[in-house]
Amino acid sequence: MSAPAPPSSGARQDPAFVDEPTVEARDVSVWFGQKVALSELSCSFGAGVTGLLGPNGAGKTTLMRALCGMLPVNQGQVLVTGRDPRRDRSVHRHLAIVPEDEAVPRGLTPRQLCEYVADLHRVDDRRVVDWALDTVEMSPAADRSMDGFSKGMRQRAKVAAALVKNPLVLVLDEPLNGADPVQRHHLISLFTRLGAEGRTVIVSSHVLNEVEAMAERVIVIVRGRLAAAGGHRAIRDAMDDVPRQVLVRSTGARRLAAALVGHEAVGGVRVDGDDLVVSTTRAIDLAVALPRAARDLGVRLTEVRPLDDSLESLFRELVR
Amino acid sequence: MTATGTLPAWRPFAAVVRYTLRATMPGRRWIGVLVPCVAAVLFGLLARSEGGVPDQAFAEMAGVALFGLVMPVTCLVVGDAVLGAEVRAGTFSFTWLSPVPTWQIALGRWVGGTTIAAGCLGVAFAASALVAGAADQVPSVVVAAVTGAAAYVAVFIAIGCVARRAAAWSLAFVFLVERLLGAALDGIAQLSPSWLARQVHVDLADVPVDLLRDGVPQGTGAVVRLAAISAVLLVLASRRLAHLRLSGSAD
Repeated sequence: MSAPAPPSSGARQDPAFVDEPTVEARDVSVWFGQKVALSELSCSFGAGVTGLLGPNGAGKTTLMRALCGMLPVNQGQVLVTGRDPRRDRSVHRHLAIVPEDEAVPRGLTPRQLCEYVADLHRVDDRRVVDWALDTVEMSPAADRSMDGFSKGMRQRAKVAAALVKNPLVLVLDEPLNGADPVQRHHLISLFTRLGAEGRTVIVSSHVLNEVEAMAERVIVIVRGRLAAAGGHRAIRDAMDDVPRQVLVRSTGARRLAAALVGHEAVGGVRVDGDDLVVSTTRAIDLAVALPRAARDLGVRLTEVRPLDDSLESLFRELVR
Repeated sequence: MTATGTLPAWRPFAAVVRYTLRATMPGRRWIGVLVPCVAAVLFGLLARSEGGVPDQAFAEMAGVALFGLVMPVTCLVVGDAVLGAEVRAGTFSFTWLSPVPTWQIALGRWVGGTTIAAGCLGVAFAASALVAGAADQVPSVVVAAVTGAAAYVAVFIAIGCVARRAAAWSLAFVFLVERLLGAALDGIAQLSPSWLARQVHVDLADVPVDLLRDGVPQGTGAVVRLAAISAVLLVLASRRLAHLRLSGSAD
């Protein structure tokens, strides 16, 4: 099954692609029965940290599994260092994934898991096991069974097992889930450092702030499609431009609506009983204008909340 | 940072075997193995309590209860644990995402699973023969248990490679294909670990020939047949492993 190659590097202005890719997805489609998980998705990843951002169910995990060869693609092609990870098992020498699943092998300690991975990869220098455990600050618990570990500790143990391989490509599926703030900071520093060493680090998250903290480049996936790509500032700007709806409950919804109409931060108003729904693309300006108008009118605000301020709704707007 | 690829080539295979022995059998699985093994001993007591010639009574009981029930159930628990359960749990990716050839993974899992199943069944069946008063049948029942367990584990590993609901398919294989169809059709019985193990035991134990089933290999021929079944299924499993869909526990 052949797929069209991405644009040549000379003409490559598309932020979804990098000049020297180690991992490429070319028109990749994956479906499970009737459900389309990925649809004609093309992008590439190179040295450094790339964030994979999208709401839950967007297809991030499916893409990561496809990139690692764990799932076959129904259409298109995945290449890791120029080879198909489904057909060429030697690719796995350079590739590691930290899956989102909480599951870890039963009864094993982090050290035993790392030693197992080291044996599979025929790693000669066993000091690397200690180094990997130290790197994720797992040494104090290295000889305890993982059965009783929290999700965050399991994630760190899996990161250690991935590091034992000394991978060129490291795929991390929601690696910060369950981590406490200190560990979160530590892991973000680690991933940033691994990217700076020239490794291809792909990190998924549905939290933009997390991705911003570690990735200069972000790829946004929504409903299995590429929604946006580029620097996190560009993604943030795109999200800021997305129109949002704010519910305002007050003692004078109609008077407040009349005062807000025409304000430059307000795109539209709708009054429904005591509820006032304001559309805006400039939420911060609205946050200043609204209480000012209420004060001037002598209206008491009882509730102000965004109706669709979830990340999911922002992502949906991005792909409209 | 790391020197890879410098250890001997057998090291990954040994690691897979060690991992299989250590990590694929949690406590509940051991209960699922030990309960049938205890039942095997109880079946031995039952055979003794029936009176008559102990050798004859044990051989008849072994054919129905030990090889027809205890062995498939025990091997199903072990065979599903060493691959199918790991695929479902999402932990098989630690093994699969490595440059180790799939034939080494399949073989390593089979060696580990067979060691557990054959070890438990061998001891349980020997104890069953002893309490039944058929000490002469201990060697034959152990040989039959080991060869039958090896074939069964290969069957369940192969099922784990091709079916997502491996445990359900394995049960269907045992109770529908082997028990129902195998009882009626010689062609099925010739490929059934349960029937072949029974033939190994009865022939090697030198008990009355009316317990042997015509049209199904006996004695050494049955051992060879069981070995061939194991080999073919391991080849199939190693080919299927390369094309496995590892979608994780949440899917």
